[in-house]
Amino acid sequence: MDITFEQVTHVYGRKTPFEKRALNNVSIHIPSGSFTSIIGHTGSGKSTLVQHINGILKPSAGRITVGDFVIRANEKKQNLKALREKVGFVFQYPEHQLFEETIIKDVCFGPMNFGVSEAEATKRAEECLQLVGLPSQLWHRSPFDLSGGQMRRVAIAGVLAVRPQVIILDEPTAGLDPMGREEILSLFKDLHERLNLTIVMVTHNMSDAANYSDQVIVMDGGKPLMAGAPERIFSQVDQLRKVGLDIPETMEFLNRLLDRVGKKETIPAFTINEAADAVIKILGGVKDHV
Amino acid sequence: MFNLVIGQYVPLDSYVHRLDPRSKLISVFLFVIIVFLANNWLTNALMVLFCLAGILLSKMHFSFIYRGLRSVFIIVLITFLLNLFLASGGTVLFSWGWLHVTTNGLFQSIFIAIRILVIIVVTTLLTLTTSPIEITDGMESLLKPLKKLKMPVHEFALMMSISLRFIPTLLEETEKIIKAQAARGSDFTSGSLKSRIKAIVPLLVPLFVGAFKRAEDLAMAMEARGYHGDVGRTKLHQLSWTWRDTLLLAAIVLLALLLLLVRN
Repeated sequence: MDITFEQVTHVYGRKTPFEKRALNNVSIHIPSGSFTSIIGHTGSGKSTLVQHINGILKPSAGRITVGDFVIRANEKKQNLKALREKVGFVFQYPEHQLFEETIIKDVCFGPMNFGVSEAEATKRAEECLQLVGLPSQLWHRSPFDLSGGQMRRVAIAGVLAVRPQVIILDEPTAGLDPMGREEILSLFKDLHERLNLTIVMVTHNMSDAANYSDQVIVMDGGKPLMAGAPERIFSQVDQLRKVGLDIPETMEFLNRLLDRVGKKETIPAFTINEAADAVIKILGGVKDHV
Repeated sequence: MFNLVIGQYVPLDSYVHRLDPRSKLISVFLFVIIVFLANNWLTNALMVLFCLAGILLSKMHFSFIYRGLRSVFIIVLITFLLNLFLASGGTVLFSWGWLHVTTNGLFQSIFIAIRILVIIVVTTLLTLTTSPIEITDGMESLLKPLKKLKMPVHEFALMMSISLRFIPTLLEETEKIIKAQAARGSDFTSGSLKSRIKAIVPLLVPLFVGAFKRAEDLAMAMEARGYHGDVGRTKLHQLSWTWRDTLLLAAIVLLALLLLLVRN
């Protein structure tokens, strides 16, 4: 499902002393089947932006198209439930939304809300719990007995069980250890590749944005500053620094190395292997300098 | 979503904001009592004027206060109508079946409506211009004499400031959970009454779990920072009573005397 924002503005607390313009005339396009990362400084409007995609927030002006669904400003009656079945949303710290007596029941909550039968929902729940790697002996326990990382997996399974075509991730790895982060992100990468899901991820981690996505959108002050392939975005080091963002660690390393050997260029390399290749290339050019 | 103005603090810099919370608390308390002295047009006009002066001095927008009060207008309206039809005396303006509207009833109900509105405006003004922390500090300071009677004034004030402090947090949390459950297809706004009540459970359980967890964390954080209750505790913001506060109290006393003079 293609996602298109056309001149979308969102104002919080309209006509109060707390009025705040979170999105300002935003027009972006997220193609179907892409893995898009949205990066930006705190308060740049990232979360507000993605909450428009499944109609959790409604625009103050402009319109949003998600597949066949259109959300316009000042429109009351909309078929949001059908939209939300297609667009799954993993909120920040999704473990805070768990409430059922058992894990499996909690995962069934989503599908059953969208009219799936109990038997089918249970089947899907088991499938998704397997997918997120939660051992089956835990499935009939209370979700509140789990560790934070496991609770997050349950919450993610609860979103996957609805079988959405688009998944929005709002900092899905906040507060996880490096291994948990890697596992969760690989899971979504795999879903993206295997089922051609469209994934939109809000993140503060530049390496995650660089490694997993094929499109990066940089937000600043409620507006998209730039959008494009990660190689292109992360080559604009100065621009990123200006809006308080960093570049992936591998690139940071390469930049310093290039500085040492007196070269003025940027090499977009996001994985350790790419970085190693780049190092060989750089050092191969200057033999007397190791 | 939560468009309630009562209990909300708007940080501005104005005469009313700078007043000592104690003088504001005492004044509002006295004002609510002397409101009942007003019983004719002149006295009611005085009360309204006092309120308007307060709003002007607080630099608060009229439209903002008006919008916050919209939700209580229905209560005012009901009292107005009840009084309109139930009060007797004076000449009959019109009757409809057993309902009679008399001049007396009309004036009475207008006065009562003014009385309620004036009380609400003044108390709203207090919370709009005084941060919750200031209010509890003021309360604690005013209730200090009760400590002699072994009343846990400090603990009470602490409980109050903690609960006030966490109201916005809880509202935020509620909003977040509503959003998360709505994204999972839960519907709070439509369907039968039974299904709507059932939709509350996925909201309440996480809310309570979160609140208990937060309480534990808070207790631990307070102990870690050496909190041990009232004894020997100093304050970051000392309350200071200035001539402005005396002026405000004088104004209230003057208002009371005026009311006593011109009331029927």
